[in-house]
Amino acid sequence: MARIHLAAALAACGLVSLLPGKAAAQAPTLTMAVGAPITSLDPHYHQLSPNNAVADMIFDSLVNRDARDRDIPGLAVSWRAVDPTTWEFKLREGVTFHNGNAFTAEDVAFTLHRVPRVPNSPSSFALYTRPITGVEIVDPHTIRLRTAAPYPLMPTDISNLRIIDKETAENATTEEFNSGRAAQGTGPWRVVEHRNGDRIEFARNENYWGGAPAFARVTYRMVTNDAARTAALLAGDVDFIDQVPTADLTRLRREQRLVLSETVGQRIIFLGLDHSRSGATPFITDNDGKPISPNPLKDVRVRRALTIAIDRHAIAERVMEGAATPSGQFLPAGSFGYVPGLEAPRANPDEARRLLAEAGFPNGFRITLNSPNDRYINDARIAQAIGQMWTRIGLRTQVEAQTWSTFVGRAARTELSAWLIGWGSSGSEASNPLRNLVATISRERGWGASNRGHYSNPAMDALVERAMVELDDPKREALLREATQMAMDDVGIIPLHIQTNIWAMRRGLQHQARADELTRAQDIRPAATGSDTRPAR
Amino acid sequence: MSISTLPPKVETPFRRFVAGFCESKVAIGGLVVCTLIVLAALFAPWIAPQNPYDLAQLDIMDGRMEPGTVGGGGFTYLLGTDDQGRDMFSGILYGLRISLSVGVGSAVLAGLFGATLGLMAAYVGGRTDSVIMRLVDLQLSFPAILAALMILAVLGKGVMNVVIALVIVEWAYYARTVRGSALVESKREYIEAARGLSLPTRRILFNHLLPNCLPPLIVVGTIQVARAIALEATLSFLGLGVPITEPSLGLLIANGYEYMLSGKYWISFYPGIALLLTIVSINLVGDQVRDVLNPRLQK
Repeated sequence: MARIHLAAALAACGLVSLLPGKAAAQAPTLTMAVGAPITSLDPHYHQLSPNNAVADMIFDSLVNRDARDRDIPGLAVSWRAVDPTTWEFKLREGVTFHNGNAFTAEDVAFTLHRVPRVPNSPSSFALYTRPITGVEIVDPHTIRLRTAAPYPLMPTDISNLRIIDKETAENATTEEFNSGRAAQGTGPWRVVEHRNGDRIEFARNENYWGGAPAFARVTYRMVTNDAARTAALLAGDVDFIDQVPTADLTRLRREQRLVLSETVGQRIIFLGLDHSRSGATPFITDNDGKPISPNPLKDVRVRRALTIAIDRHAIAERVMEGAATPSGQFLPAGSFGYVPGLEAPRANPDEARRLLAEAGFPNGFRITLNSPNDRYINDARIAQAIGQMWTRIGLRTQVEAQTWSTFVGRAARTELSAWLIGWGSSGSEASNPLRNLVATISRERGWGASNRGHYSNPAMDALVERAMVELDDPKREALLREATQMAMDDVGIIPLHIQTNIWAMRRGLQHQARADELTRAQDIRPAATGSDTRPAR
Repeated sequence: MSISTLPPKVETPFRRFVAGFCESKVAIGGLVVCTLIVLAALFAPWIAPQNPYDLAQLDIMDGRMEPGTVGGGGFTYLLGTDDQGRDMFSGILYGLRISLSVGVGSAVLAGLFGATLGLMAAYVGGRTDSVIMRLVDLQLSFPAILAALMILAVLGKGVMNVVIALVIVEWAYYARTVRGSALVESKREYIEAARGLSLPTRRILFNHLLPNCLPPLIVVGTIQVARAIALEATLSFLGLGVPITEPSLGLLIANGYEYMLSGKYWISFYPGIALLLTIVSINLVGDQVRDVLNPRLQK
């Protein structure tokens, strides 16, 4: 018996290797290891970069995003505002879902209906559907979305919503997506198997409208330990990793067998400050340990001293090993609303001391800087370096690092005075960080959702408000620039740097680095002109 | 046996102990290393070229320098620097202070607490004994590191909290040891006699019973000091012990751990060696103390 099995297995192997087809012969399988586990295969369950990356592999949106996070046609071939409150999307024809069902406007309408109704969503996508007041299916490949007010961000916002198949997903629960049954999209990969927290197995969608991907199968492993991920790549267990630890950068750059791909990201690392208290703030005391009232952080001179005390270039070079760009605003150069000429503040400890003295603190004060230690690249190390720099201008700084879950709870309850945190802007538009980080907190408008310091500047709010209904792009950009400049002049937050996203892969592969950090298999292909690609067998 | 048969030089238990201890050269070596480490820790502020806990004395531009480099402060980084520009030599000296004081402090506190409960259990017996010993069983059924992690998760970070966690984790060993020997001793005639004289319980417990239970307690104590140091290092390595700006040995090791692959070995290596030397030397001393105090091993 055993011999027959063996013979059968051998025959099978022979058959496989004899199969014709160039694509199957070269690099049939790609094994990837990513640093962050996904929480669900349901594309409307949780707004989280790792989830979005996997959703992008299985599904498409009406509007997709290119590597620089600009809008490009996805399942919609074109879109326009037919009047100030109506957007019309022309849909791609001849597209099918993985199960063979045709894609039509019905599926779009169903997706828009489902998004706000996903139960237990930890971070809902509903904010993107909230402005839509009416959906009109003109014909199977034309759909119109109505809003109450002019809504210039419609194409950008709609790119967050991955389109699912109405027939498969009607009444489907998040669990049915996780099992793979309901996860039928139009994207370049279909799910073969999903083992929660461990790996996802994908097979290529031969009928993908954008052209079939380069690999027949993809194993998408989740390896959260940084050292283990790097070691797996060095050992050849995996072909590709993301979130390359900066500590290993020097070594990996020298490694002949590997290639790195990198690009400036969209995640700003910044310090938040307590603007909420007029009286004493909990983590600032005078040099004898007594609370200081009024809150020194309400004085713009103190805030300015704090920001110019920081040597951002030293942090980018020494702590981040060059994998960061010092920044004086929310977004990297080239983004919509980037203010030209608004550079990262230059370190000037003398001026900082002078400002402190002017504000009435010639002998400084004590301050505690809180930071997570497991969320952002080198987060606790950056906080310690800032501790050094603040201590040099006479502020005795304590650094308290804690796990993200503890930290974010305390930050959300505004228990802290100064803290290190990050924000990954989606959509490459200054209105995103402006509305989320510095706009006055307003539940109805959904503004200030991550404004942990309760910063409030009515003049700036008014500018953002005007920008949100301005359909003319140059005018809108001017308004956003003005608002950004205003928030930065007032030191609403203290921007530090923008992270560089880094991936590493074995030589013979090439990867299109993405600004939005998403790690997707369709961005990887065998290197075009590499003489050292493995010979096809 | 008459008094005249005693040797001219009075043999006290202490002298016998010292003579027994000196029989092992390894143990003497351990004691010497141990003493040196304690002295280094005690005099750290005078020996160390830098105060590694003062952020103003650190410079990020001096980060990750190799051993022997001269830094911006004008002195040589003998063992290199960590990622924050902290002199490793100074860091280790100050780290030893934390490790030793946490180790000895928690061992002494746990000893006091555990010994008292153990004595009570043995002497009072009955329900008190059952309750205390079941508590001990409960405590010992948890892995020490897991229990300490849970306690610190509740209490939060800080050196004092680490000591509290270690005391809670370790008192059971002392209680059990003391109870065992106290049970044997309390059946002896001198305790019967003391009871017959109707001395107060407290006096019987601490003046008569405890001194005779001391040898095993000392042995457990030395071993537990080493264990406590290792536990503290583990907790700090996991990021639950001391604050990051005041690293102990475990945190120094954790800081350098990520740089091992890039060849910057010294950030983890030297604190690791210091930790190893500390624990091994204390254990060597402890082993010899046990051998000398163990009546069964005596010739």
